[in-house]
Amino acid sequence: MTLPALLEVGPDKGPTFAGRVQGHIRGATLTQQKQRIGLFAALPAFLVVTSLLFYPIGYAVWISFLKTDGVTSKFIGLSNYANIFTEPLVHEVFVTNLKFLIAIPMVIFLGLFTAVLLYQEIWGWRFFRIIFFLPSVLSTSVIGLMFRSAFTLNGPINTALIQFGFEPINFFARANMAIFVVVLALIWAGFGYSMMILLSGLMSIDTDLFAAAEVDGAGWWQKFRYIIIPSVKQQLAFVSIINTLYTFTSLFGFIFVMTAGGPMYSTTTLDYLVYQKAFSAFDMGEGSALAIIMFGVIALLTIAQSKHLKNDAGR
Amino acid sequence: MRKFSLRTNLLIFLALLSAAITTLYPLFYVAMTSARTLEDYNKNAYGIPKFFTLDSFRILIENYSLGTAARNTVTVVGISLLTAIIFSSFAGFALAKYDFPGSKAMNWSFIAVMLLPSQILIIPIYLLLSKFELVGHLHGLMFVYIGTNIPFGVFFLKSVFSAVPDTILDAARIDGAGFFKSFFKIAVPNAAAGITTLAVLQFLGMWNELLYAYLILPDQSQRLLTPALASIGGRYTTNQPLVAAALCITAAPTLILLAMSSKYLVRGVSTGIGNS
Repeated sequence: MTLPALLEVGPDKGPTFAGRVQGHIRGATLTQQKQRIGLFAALPAFLVVTSLLFYPIGYAVWISFLKTDGVTSKFIGLSNYANIFTEPLVHEVFVTNLKFLIAIPMVIFLGLFTAVLLYQEIWGWRFFRIIFFLPSVLSTSVIGLMFRSAFTLNGPINTALIQFGFEPINFFARANMAIFVVVLALIWAGFGYSMMILLSGLMSIDTDLFAAAEVDGAGWWQKFRYIIIPSVKQQLAFVSIINTLYTFTSLFGFIFVMTAGGPMYSTTTLDYLVYQKAFSAFDMGEGSALAIIMFGVIALLTIAQSKHLKNDAGR
Repeated sequence: MRKFSLRTNLLIFLALLSAAITTLYPLFYVAMTSARTLEDYNKNAYGIPKFFTLDSFRILIENYSLGTAARNTVTVVGISLLTAIIFSSFAGFALAKYDFPGSKAMNWSFIAVMLLPSQILIIPIYLLLSKFELVGHLHGLMFVYIGTNIPFGVFFLKSVFSAVPDTILDAARIDGAGFFKSFFKIAVPNAAAGITTLAVLQFLGMWNELLYAYLILPDQSQRLLTPALASIGGRYTTNQPLVAAALCITAAPTLILLAMSSKYLVRGVSTGIGNS
């Protein structure tokens, strides 16, 4: 949930400290000295990021051209990529991953709905704000295990079903049911974060707009449609992008503790398949190639979404 | 738009309250299950337990070395968090207030890797760490956490330090304050709330992380809490009180942190999306 913003990286505002000081104190040497200090202060972080992120990305690309189990390796060119594009399992897993996207409209709808209610200062709105946000601070393994315990064959949900006269359901033995439980966990755990972001958008609406609309006789729906939705467009964009990224890259924890990808491969997601290929089948090359393809897909999706939403905002 | 009538207020309040119960009741249920005996759970899983016991917690600490796991987690998260914040704040301050050649490029390089998914990094990082014989060592994992948390830290703190007024920094500069003095005496105190927010966010991220922790510390004696929880949960499905106790140990610190710092979390979640 610490996923940051990628939408708004605005230009620097105003002259910088060093630039201003340059005006106060004459002498280029002093400016140069200050620039050097700035560089030295930023350098450690940059070096860490270079060695622990940039270098590994390059290495990942190299690994994707190898047949390797981590010990021995052989250069095989683009074969890993060719294998992935032709492997039926990868296609199946990609479709499964798309199924998990069902959670996103639900998360956004619930998030927006509760955000508007909280914005209207319903009784206890501060309490609800924290309670709905609460699952966001829990680990995916905590949430996953709670759902697994709740939905096991002799767990609370089935006990309740029996009590109401239904047959118990073996949720994790049936593909669609297992997906349903994971999606439910995603919604339960995820809508509070979206609510929080949308609420921060609502808080910045100029309340005069509502007063003016009321003078014109606008009802609740009209105010919702013509004031609220346009005002939180940017937050809606952010929430949909973040949730899409999340669905493609961060389901590992849920899948790992809830279903281990099963039954068969019916809940295996792309990120879980990368893990399986690299660390269960010890095919680091193909795992790496899959991770790179996955990264390409989500990068394209993110760019497409933000372009689309920017056009929308410009209308 | 802002207020509801009394009746609508009551109806919506009740609807939201039932939604809130679906969030709170599972947590309450887990806490209660963790304090029952297994026999009691098998006979009466949903009622109030006849007596409360901390046996499951004792078993976890004695037989499943969850105490060690907690200690390892605190060590790794503590050192990684402190290091990442120090590096990020120096860089964030420099990028916000010192316009040095290449600062724009450096800034973009941090932003570029901010959203990198861990799946793309885990394979090369695992191979690199094993080359340096760091797999199975706490500091191997620390390197990973420090590296992956710095980009967002720099991005976040750059915007925090940008809000520190130039006038007071100028004044200090004219009084002869150097980089360190300006940083510690003026920038950090003025940005304390922002730094706290970042620390809370990154603490949660590290504490809850599973993939790196699971793969880089494979030995049971060195495991962190989240992977320990995942494997206990996978293996002991018939002993729900034990699983519940493990859930409590893992989740309690994050819930306590939420209770103590909700102000910072609310702020942290809303900043960074260009709304301020």
